[in-house]
Amino acid sequence: MLLLQLLVDGILLGGTYVLLAQSLNLIFGVMGVVNLAHGSFIVLAGLFTVWFAAHVAISPLLAIPIAFVVLYAVGAALQPVLLEPLMGLGMQQAELLSLMITFGLDYVLIELGLQVFGSNYVSLPYLQSTWTLGGITVGKSLLVAGVIAGAVALALSLWLNRTGFGKSLLAASQSETGAVSVGINVRLVRLVAFAVGVGLAGVAGTLLILVEPMAAETADNFTILAFVLVALGGLGDYRGVAIASVLLGIAQSAVGFYLGGDAENVLPYVLLILFMAVWPQRFRRAA
Amino acid sequence: MSDTKPPLAPSVVHAPASHWYRAIVAGAAILAVFVAAPIFGSAYMVQLVTDILIFTALAYGWNLISGFTGYLSFGQVSFYGVGAYATGVMVVHMPIPWYLAVCAGGVLAMLVAVLIGPIMLRVRGILFALSMFGLARIFAVLFSDWDYAGGGNGLTLPAELTPVGVYVFAGLLALAGFSLNAWFARSGFGLDAMGIREDENAAAAVGVPTTRVKVAAFALSGVLAGLAGGLVAWNRSYIDPPSMFDPTIDLQTVVFVLFGGMGTIWGPLIGTVILTVVGEQLLVHFPNLELALYGLVVIVTVLLLPGGIVSLVNRWGWLPRPIVLAPRALPFGEPPPPRAAPPEPSVPVLAVDGLGVRFGGLVALDGVSFHIAPGETVAIIGANGAGKTTLFNAITGFVPPTHGDIRLRGRSVARLPAFRRARDGMARTFQIPRLMRPMTVWENVLAAARHGRQGHRAVAQAAWAVHTVGLADLWLAPVSQLSPGHQRRLEFGRVLALDPDLVLLDEVMAGMTKDEQEEMRAVIRHLHGFGVSAVAMVEHVIAAIADLSDRMIVLDFGRKIAEGTPDEVLRDPAVIRAYLGEPQ
Repeated sequence: MLLLQLLVDGILLGGTYVLLAQSLNLIFGVMGVVNLAHGSFIVLAGLFTVWFAAHVAISPLLAIPIAFVVLYAVGAALQPVLLEPLMGLGMQQAELLSLMITFGLDYVLIELGLQVFGSNYVSLPYLQSTWTLGGITVGKSLLVAGVIAGAVALALSLWLNRTGFGKSLLAASQSETGAVSVGINVRLVRLVAFAVGVGLAGVAGTLLILVEPMAAETADNFTILAFVLVALGGLGDYRGVAIASVLLGIAQSAVGFYLGGDAENVLPYVLLILFMAVWPQRFRRAA
Repeated sequence: MSDTKPPLAPSVVHAPASHWYRAIVAGAAILAVFVAAPIFGSAYMVQLVTDILIFTALAYGWNLISGFTGYLSFGQVSFYGVGAYATGVMVVHMPIPWYLAVCAGGVLAMLVAVLIGPIMLRVRGILFALSMFGLARIFAVLFSDWDYAGGGNGLTLPAELTPVGVYVFAGLLALAGFSLNAWFARSGFGLDAMGIREDENAAAAVGVPTTRVKVAAFALSGVLAGLAGGLVAWNRSYIDPPSMFDPTIDLQTVVFVLFGGMGTIWGPLIGTVILTVVGEQLLVHFPNLELALYGLVVIVTVLLLPGGIVSLVNRWGWLPRPIVLAPRALPFGEPPPPRAAPPEPSVPVLAVDGLGVRFGGLVALDGVSFHIAPGETVAIIGANGAGKTTLFNAITGFVPPTHGDIRLRGRSVARLPAFRRARDGMARTFQIPRLMRPMTVWENVLAAARHGRQGHRAVAQAAWAVHTVGLADLWLAPVSQLSPGHQRRLEFGRVLALDPDLVLLDEVMAGMTKDEQEEMRAVIRHLHGFGVSAVAMVEHVIAAIADLSDRMIVLDFGRKIAEGTPDEVLRDPAVIRAYLGEPQ
């Protein structure tokens, strides 16, 4: 029964991870850029949600569309200035410089979070009760967050696979030259990919705050988490990343239960280094 | 391979005179400030200079692994923290003087780097960057659970005031950082590191022991960071995991070096001094905006001045990059000494036995066997996707074979790393020349000549190779300014500098005009005259190589389908089918 409990918790936690990973995957796939500021967008959205719930006092779930629209606009404004200029450079150069730029952006955003929302850990007291079904206890907040995040991630994959623009996004992530030669506006595609990716990071943040406390300075934990999931699941492999998210969610629930919170938090880092030791080829393709 | 239009008239044929007197003036000025600060300055001033010196050392450490070697680290703070904790624990629990404890911390940080280096340095780019970041988080958790070192509450060190001692130690540390960087910029070892930065596989192909060089650079960067951390621990008398494994220390290090100029000798010092001094002033007016400020500096520098301040002053000819081991003028050089006669001349130079390569489920090569005898030139042909380049990659050690054996002069090399095979006598070219683009012709050739040779011998052999491929007039030109034809020549210069027994040419004629092909053919005919025993060519343009080759081997879908003289092979119905398809 305990195992089943951990499994259910893990799957729901994994559901919240799917969105955070897919939003990074989208940017990574289309632009070849690992957005090191990803976690700070997530945390800013999470902190905003807490403020929103405290001051506007409607359902905090209303923060979801707001976070998406605002961060979509922020992403659309930043991409042409910060990242598009690097796109013409050689791959190695572009990777190096884009890492630096998003690293710098990360700290600008963290500072923004510190100035606006303060440096404390905050959490959102919403849906604190639990449901019990056949001996399995499920926190309502985890259930809501996991299900909504999973649904949004599913919507993203439907958008990518079923709509014309989504398909051109996928095409651009497979071959930029190919995409250009069939008349896709790759610049626009990159801009939209980044904006949607950042917007969805915002959605992920508003949902993650339901299940774990955040502080401005925890931003990088989410970046790493998202990156580990993308690396494990496979670059551009949306199904692989979804599976990796659920597996990591389960692993973290189990590790957290048996070894404690510290171990749960460093698990993604340990996995990253472990996989680098035993399976570097997998990363080489992704890198 | 002569180009009708040389891309640039070389303005410098002699190596630029070294401006040693400028270096002495700069050194004297820095020393004067260093001595004057504690004599005339306030305690605040001494602390500020100490902080600058410690950060300079961190910046120089980061520059070794990230600037020179090309592995972007966001986790130098792992070493910094280990050094700090080693120092703290030793000072608190053992009766040893602080400066020895700091040194021990540096050694421990180096040990950590040597142990984890071979794993962490497998994949560069984002993976290395984030793994280093993650390593620092793991260390932070481990140390907060270690009660002997104070656990989460931190560790209080005895509060002895030794500002002058710390000051002098910090000065020596910064000097050590500077010296290591200057050595990287001028030495053969540094050239290896920069070769890895520019193109790791190409470096291995000319004999650079890439893993060893990377781990050594990593260890040196770790020592500097570890010593810096130990010094900070002693200076502050209190350490705890959040402050000793603080990622913003990495942010500052990255900002300082980037702003000054990555991979340069003076950049880290310039960046650290300017940004610390300016930062101090700005933070008075905008307190608590440190992170945003540094973040903005990174963004603006990358967008507007990616080479940093040093690249700016380079425009006026100041602080030029030293050219590695360049003599004042290009000597005539000496060809490599004749190779000792092989014990058994009949043994094939290259023997490939049942070689198979698999990528996941895809069979790229399936049981390929052939021999190349001394004196032979063999062409390997096949349609696109036949496995030709994979075959070369497996022979030269860039793709691990799933089965089969590869023997060079009778000795199995299938398990040797690529750089070993290069040193044992295999030289290869790539489909597109893979050269160190920002570096000069001289450095590209020297990098290949250096391995397994003494210094003066390497210089003589490199000079000979530069003359032989006709690039003597351009010996100090950076590769990025060479025409494609000259780049091809340079690649051959690099091959000759290796003094190879076996040369593997990967589609050297692709995309060439008829005239260029003709010149390339002449070069290939001449290769045997330079001590090369055997040549293997992968080629698409069959007409251009048919009369050059003694034998041809035809691959199709990863299998050898024919082998024989060019006449036999080109009439073989199986070959015709493979190229032209089944007759309707």
